[in-house]
Amino acid sequence: MKGVVFVELLSMAETLIGEDAVDDVLDATELASGGAYSAVGNYPCSELMALVGAFSAHTGHSVAFLQTTFGKWIFDKFAESYTVFFEGKTDAFTMLESIEGEVHVEVRKLYPEVELPRFETNRVDANTLEMVYASERPLVDFCQGMIEACLIHFGQEAVIEQTPVNLGEAFGAKFNISLTAKMAA
Amino acid sequence: MSAPEAPPAQTVSRRRYDRLLRAREEAEALLEAKSRELWEANQRLKAQAEALEKTVESRTAELETAMHAAEASNRAKSVFLANMSHEIRTPLNGVLGMAKAIGDTDLSPDQQEMTDTILDSGQILLGVLNDILDISKIEAGQMDIENIPFDIAELAQSAKRHHGFKAREKGLGFEVTVREAARKWVTGDPTRLRQVTGNLIANAIKFTKTGGIQVTFDLDAAPPNATLRIEVRDTGIGISADGIANLFRPFHQLDASVAREYGGTGLGLSISHHICTLMKGDITVQSTPGSGTSFIATAQVATAPAPEAVAAPDIQSLRETLTGKHWRLLVAEDNKTNQMVLSKLLQPYELEITLVDNGEGALQATRKDHFDLILMDINMPVMDGIDATRAIRADEASGKRPATPIIALTANSMTHQIESYLTCGMNGHLAKPLVHDTLLQTIAQAVTKPELLQVPS
Repeated sequence: MKGVVFVELLSMAETLIGEDAVDDVLDATELASGGAYSAVGNYPCSELMALVGAFSAHTGHSVAFLQTTFGKWIFDKFAESYTVFFEGKTDAFTMLESIEGEVHVEVRKLYPEVELPRFETNRVDANTLEMVYASERPLVDFCQGMIEACLIHFGQEAVIEQTPVNLGEAFGAKFNISLTAKMAA
Repeated sequence: MSAPEAPPAQTVSRRRYDRLLRAREEAEALLEAKSRELWEANQRLKAQAEALEKTVESRTAELETAMHAAEASNRAKSVFLANMSHEIRTPLNGVLGMAKAIGDTDLSPDQQEMTDTILDSGQILLGVLNDILDISKIEAGQMDIENIPFDIAELAQSAKRHHGFKAREKGLGFEVTVREAARKWVTGDPTRLRQVTGNLIANAIKFTKTGGIQVTFDLDAAPPNATLRIEVRDTGIGISADGIANLFRPFHQLDASVAREYGGTGLGLSISHHICTLMKGDITVQSTPGSGTSFIATAQVATAPAPEAVAAPDIQSLRETLTGKHWRLLVAEDNKTNQMVLSKLLQPYELEITLVDNGEGALQATRKDHFDLILMDINMPVMDGIDATRAIRADEASGKRPATPIIALTANSMTHQIESYLTCGMNGHLAKPLVHDTLLQTIAQAVTKPELLQVPS
């Protein structure tokens, strides 16, 4: 997994619990990298899961909550650094639909070895988008956070229903995103 | 560099510092590795580009060599064809002339038929040779297009005269129409247009079993330019779409069975197409297999005023002119066969013919005797026809004698050469093989009204 995810996770954790607490958690957790992350490096996903687990134990927040929060954090960073992907897009559905076909295509050009999750989208009707996530990594709630942040980014509100699905990969979920009536109009 | 013993407050902790340092070192190592990879990839690309360039260079050189070889062999082929055709034409001229001469003698019907067959076959062979010469000229970029005034109606009439009989013989209808707009004089190359029209009509007759052929001449005039449009429509076997695609390729016939059943070299349409292109026109074709074909040939011409009518003398009055007096003819020709052909063709008329073998002989003869007309071959040993003509004209000028008409006698029928014959002092031109009627007409005109002589088209 790209180092930038770890760097951002620690950065978010520092804003939530402070540098010293983050350092304590890093010291207390068994990590092959020793917790020294560079944005350009690559680290095992298990370290990310261990860190999220450790922050959960430290803060008392559930792992699901932390993943969702981190998903939102990452989306905002993404929106800040990669404005090019947002050009010409005026709503959350169009943005979410472009992840598989545009964003991931560009990511693969830069990092051919990267393992990316799959996102399939399907417009059920004008106000409903079905998004299916399938990955070898247990990051369903992280996705939930990104979807939420995306809606906020475009000033839209929606009800998101999460259902587990099995598409062959280790982890999978279907997100049913229904724009709420007042915002949908 | 050693770290301070106890970090002051407001600074990062040792463990944080160590982690950041390790992260940085790792990033630098990664960067180093990436840079190296990039540099190596770049080197590989450079090497690949160089190799590619070398490959391209050597391939280009190979192709150029192959192209030069192909061009040279194509030129050699054209030159060979032109030379061979020329070499065959000269003896063929002898065969045809002699056959014609035999045909004019008292023959039994059987013998007459045999002589006619020799003449017909010879004419066909001559046609093939002319086609090969034409295609060689076209490939060598040496086909000249003339620009002289002619009457479209006369072009149409000559097409009717030449092909009407053949069509009727096959039981086909044959209709030649000249639209009102086309009843005009224009400038262009009537000989080449006659060739194109003839080729299209001959094809139409060849490939039509029942029905008929309609030939239409039309002129789309926007003075001083105009487009001559000749349509030849038949009710013949037609051509498939595939066939149309290959129609104008030289040496190409629709398929082998066409060659077997209908004969021909497959050069005619290719030549006609080239001629029309040289005249800034085109040939287009529309056809439905089984129900007929329509060819449309176009050519750029210029509108021209009709010249004052000069009544063409008919063959009877030509004969009378030639037999009316003992005209004295000097013939300079080195080829014995050609000498004999000429003598035989002119035998029926009471002419006094003096034969010499070269230009020097001609010059000497004119110094001794007076002649009414000189027929002068161009390529002769000792002194060629052009030098002889110049010398004779110089003689006449210094001796204050009237100029004797001199007619060039040659197989080289290219326009710019004829011009050079005229500028050296000749009055006209006769193309070999000699055609009986044209020969009579030219001689009669030369001895009576030399000022009316023009290069026969």
